Amino acid sequence: MTTDLRLFAEEPSPQRPQGRTTWVIVAALVGAAVVASGVTAVLAKLGRPLTAMPLLVVSGGGESGEPGRLSKRAAQAAAALDRQRPRGVWLTIDTHRNRLLVFKNGELVRSAICSTGTGIVLRDPRNGREWVFDTPLGERAIQHKVRNPVWAKPDWAFIEEGLEPPTDPNERFDSNSLGDYGLYMGDGYIIHGTLFKTLLGRRVTHGCIRLGDEDLEFVYRNAPIGSRVYLY
Amino acid sequence: MLRSVLACTSISLVAAAAWCGEEIPHPARVATLELEASLAKKPGVYLVLDTERRSLEIRARGIVLDSVALTGIELVAQQPLFGGAAPTTLPLPALWTVESGPGDTDREVIAPELLRPYVSEDEEEEETTEDEAEPRRSAPTPSPTPVREPPTSYRARLDSGWDLWITEQLPATSFWGQLKAAVADGWLRLRGRGPHLSPALAVAMKGEDARRLHHLLRAGMPILLPAALQ
Repeated sequence: MTTDLRLFAEEPSPQRPQGRTTWVIVAALVGAAVVASGVTAVLAKLGRPLTAMPLLVVSGGGESGEPGRLSKRAAQAAAALDRQRPRGVWLTIDTHRNRLLVFKNGELVRSAICSTGTGIVLRDPRNGREWVFDTPLGERAIQHKVRNPVWAKPDWAFIEEGLEPPTDPNERFDSNSLGDYGLYMGDGYIIHGTLFKTLLGRRVTHGCIRLGDEDLEFVYRNAPIGSRVYLY
Repeated sequence: MLRSVLACTSISLVAAAAWCGEEIPHPARVATLELEASLAKKPGVYLVLDTERRSLEIRARGIVLDSVALTGIELVAQQPLFGGAAPTTLPLPALWTVESGPGDTDREVIAPELLRPYVSEDEEEEETTEDEAEPRRSAPTPSPTPVREPPTSYRARLDSGWDLWITEQLPATSFWGQLKAAVADGWLRLRGRGPHLSPALAVAMKGEDARRLHHLLRAGMPILLPAALQ
């Protein structure tokens, strides 16, 4: 009994430590805040964040001259630009959205879903030779048109499948893959058909433009040889 | 896009027609027109970044192929948080060329480890039974590698010494946003990982628009900045 009383008497008062703990917590928080502010200030001082700078656009680059001379220069430049504009039938090919548009005298006459190049690079493991499966950018022209085109498979067509290219040239000819028509734009780039209609609208080709059967026939019949093609 | 293509007459051509009238053209605009005429002589695609109309157009031979609306244009550079940012003058018109961009570098490379000897179809038919026969190999196979979606934020190095930064969102301009960016950058620098970025003309646009410009920013791509006249 005595022992119990002593133990009870030795128990610390609940009031005093609680107040001390509060002070300790407050002091710790203030200390942490000071340290955090200091660290933040040091890091902010060290940092070089991207900052928008005032941009003053000024018009220059042109010599001020006689008004008549300026007008003449403007007219010459406008005429030079006008000469470059396509006429008749031309095609535009958006290689990101995979859309082919046909224009006739400035009016849109056909919009088609196509497939364009993947942009992937293929490397020959034997010699490190590379092919980039890009649809080219810029202006091209339809150089010639063919019914039932035959594909002479280049080396990359075999290497991509993990095969060595055949030594016999006759093994390269494929009369099934290009569809009913081929419109050749030079450097091996062709607007042609496809066996894989479900892949239209996607970047899956090796650089050529694939079209569905009806759209391909429309382009074949309406785009004469020499028609310009704008690829972007 | 359709509208812009349908119009198919570049703004400069329309403007040029107007200038050819009685109005005396501004020398800077004449210079713009001459620069575009020199670009249109070549068969390549070029970009026209109009700071006044806030648009980026894809053109070839003087016609507008496609147009992207910009939600912001700023010059951004790495600056200390507490230090004045000096104004930078941009004389227009200007013709810049991409030295290297994501269209050159951001590409996937595939390479078979080993090539098997080619076996002609006739030999193959003899070797395989009907059940084992594979589909005709001459048919092209769908691309085995899915194409990656281009990013919405990337930089292209220009011959002007600046970068062209295509982004969906421009850097924060509020004090707290800047402070946060400064602390994050300071932490990277403390560990020796701080990026050193060239000053950039940052153009903000929708994510989808940023993706479709990605492949165009490759070495040699000309960018015309026409004169801006208020």
